[in-house]
Amino acid sequence: MLTVVAGPCGAGKTTWILQELAQMPTPAVYATPGVGPVPIDATRVAARFPQVEIFQRQPETELLQRLAAGVPVYFELGFQLETDIAFLEGRPHRRIALVAEENRDAGWQLWADEVIRGNQSTLNLQAAQVWRAPLSGQVFDPPSLDTFWQELIQGAYGKVHRAKGIFELAEGQAFHLDFVNSLPGSAYTELNLPRWVQGRPNRFSGIEVVGQELDEGAIAATLKDCYLSDSLLTAHQATLKDSVPLEVV
Amino acid sequence: MNIAVLSCIHGNLEALEAVLRKIDQQPVDQIYCLGDLVGYGPYPNEVVARIRELDIPTCQGCWDEDIVEGLNACECSYPSLLAETRGRQAHEWTNREVTPETRDYLAELPLTLQQSNLCFVHGSPHSQHEYLLPDTSAFIAMERVLATGADTLFCGHTHIPYVRNLENSQLTLNIVHPAPHPPTHSPTPLPSLKRIINAGSVGEPRHGRPNATYIVYNTDTQQAELREVEYDYTQTCAAILEKGLPAIFAWRLSKGLEYAEKADDPTHVCER
Amino acid sequence: MTHWAILSGINGNLSAYEAVLADLKRAHHPIEALYILGDLVGPHPQCEDLVQRVRQPRRGELAPQVCLGWWEEQCFNLHGMGSDPEATELLAQIGPDGVEKLWKSVPRETVQWLRSLDFGFFELDCLLIHGSTVGCHDVLTPETPPMQLLDRLLRADANTLFCGRSGLTFHLQIPAGAVTSTVTTLDAPAQTMTQQVRDRQVVGVGSVGKESGKATYTLYSPYTSTVSFRTVPYGTQGKGFS
Repeated sequence: MLTVVAGPCGAGKTTWILQELAQMPTPAVYATPGVGPVPIDATRVAARFPQVEIFQRQPETELLQRLAAGVPVYFELGFQLETDIAFLEGRPHRRIALVAEENRDAGWQLWADEVIRGNQSTLNLQAAQVWRAPLSGQVFDPPSLDTFWQELIQGAYGKVHRAKGIFELAEGQAFHLDFVNSLPGSAYTELNLPRWVQGRPNRFSGIEVVGQELDEGAIAATLKDCYLSDSLLTAHQATLKDSVPLEVV
Repeated sequence: MNIAVLSCIHGNLEALEAVLRKIDQQPVDQIYCLGDLVGYGPYPNEVVARIRELDIPTCQGCWDEDIVEGLNACECSYPSLLAETRGRQAHEWTNREVTPETRDYLAELPLTLQQSNLCFVHGSPHSQHEYLLPDTSAFIAMERVLATGADTLFCGHTHIPYVRNLENSQLTLNIVHPAPHPPTHSPTPLPSLKRIINAGSVGEPRHGRPNATYIVYNTDTQQAELREVEYDYTQTCAAILEKGLPAIFAWRLSKGLEYAEKADDPTHVCER
Repeated sequence: MTHWAILSGINGNLSAYEAVLADLKRAHHPIEALYILGDLVGPHPQCEDLVQRVRQPRRGELAPQVCLGWWEEQCFNLHGMGSDPEATELLAQIGPDGVEKLWKSVPRETVQWLRSLDFGFFELDCLLIHGSTVGCHDVLTPETPPMQLLDRLLRADANTLFCGRSGLTFHLQIPAGAVTSTVTTLDAPAQTMTQQVRDRQVVGVGSVGKESGKATYTLYSPYTSTVSFRTVPYGTQGKGFS
């Protein structure tokens, strides 16, 4: 069964899919077309459900095989993508829209089989800027990341509608940070991944910011100021060795 | 007599002028300044010139000391790499900007000032870097005041103003060895009321609003008033950008946040 | 009940140190730890031998835990590694002859080893240090104002502070204390609270080498919290058979 999930920016599409996957005893497939080298949601899903297969650049034929075998497939459509994707044409699929009451218009009602209540979005699609950056290999000083994140979501670098990211911290954990301007505060979730305590991590981390008048240069520069240098990282990992028993994967 | 006490101007000329205008509306007999005239803000030389022009007795702040000695505050002063980077950028900018005249003036500043039973310091009597916070142990706070011999200790450095009364203090000391002859077992008499009055910051507030703060104190009634002064902080923000200081400082000032976060450990004193 | 033996102020005096070790061997209570709170070295002809004796304890002897003291800081100053490279305080105290004596008593290799030592120790609820967390120069005595003693304890969050700077043996107790604090801020009305302390103590551990012919040190039982002082005569006077 193929389920396509769409909705405005920050409505809660990934969250809904995670809830679905939690109830699923069988393996499933998750795909987010169009995110390129910054697959934040896919990483979040994979960390939570290691048995879920993540499809990014695999050929269509493989996807068809999964469908034929009865594996449930979830397509999450980014807010900026059009809902008519070539692959879906002619194939039976379930259409779910995550939309807040305030954002519901005829368009969503026409397209979706089912409209589920989502977070409100006030984003002006015409003026929206999307900035993404991979951060793989970078390790963050946690208090620096905290300061940067607070500045980001409070508008120091432009009007931010949505911000999400996966960040590797000095202690070895990977954290998912999530902000939507219609909800108070940010969600900080430690990903269920082994702690990386030796050298630079070679798993994905990255950031995505959606907003208006974003000062991309300043965001990138400030992020850099939060990184641990090689020497600091080495020194920190040496102290970790003494105090923390390494987790066995 | 009435005195006004201000602190931590940090090169914010606009804020200083606003405070001086406010003081002029209800003039005082004496103004004192608790240091940190320079650092982070766009007008270090102008602030120093103004303080000198008005002949305001000033004690040396931690930033003033750093600029004089060409040092950068120890990295343990900052709780994050980001704050440390910003602090270093501010230090380098200020170091380039201050004139030799400004530097000479800051070098001559005394560490403490005293007027009858009042003492004025930047951080604490022991160090320009020590924070005396409202929730610092009351005993430690008491020791700081007692160490000066004064009844009231004025301080800054924390950038959040407060008035703290310390009273009803009792301390029992037993000398077990060498055993005194005859044995003494009496509580040590301690003075009745001691106070710490923190003037907050004129130019780099931490209380969540960009307004300047200062203190007015009456030596006869011993009444202390915390004063908050609104001013056109956008002028300072514009100057920050124009003069090439990190742009983030302008945003942080507008939110009433300090330019670069400081470590929370109050009694930590760095040994460089 | 095992005890800690706490020493300070050996000042390079090997004979005095040996006398203390002999005294410890005769002790009724087993000793589980041996602390030397600074002033291990000093301008003394036996200094280098003393340092080797401490660094290489004999079989069956405890390895001493040594922290820095005032004399160690003076050595750092002399070798340009301290906070006072001109050694002005040292010169004022012992004069140029004394400075030269110290220079000769503590070779560079020993100074390098001294650099690796801790500033102090925190064990259970006790701070063991030469002066205080303020620094090696901080002198605490029975004449120190009680609030200052309490400040030194609270800075380290310790119930007991063992120190050696004064060279004196003393035991001061602060069974109770209270202060009422009222804070007013811009946005909140005045808030009052009373802070209390109980059962703190400051112990001067004496000096092994300061007074010629007589070494003093401290025994402490962390299990019963008892403090006792030992005085050990040493040297050739009054010993042996006439």
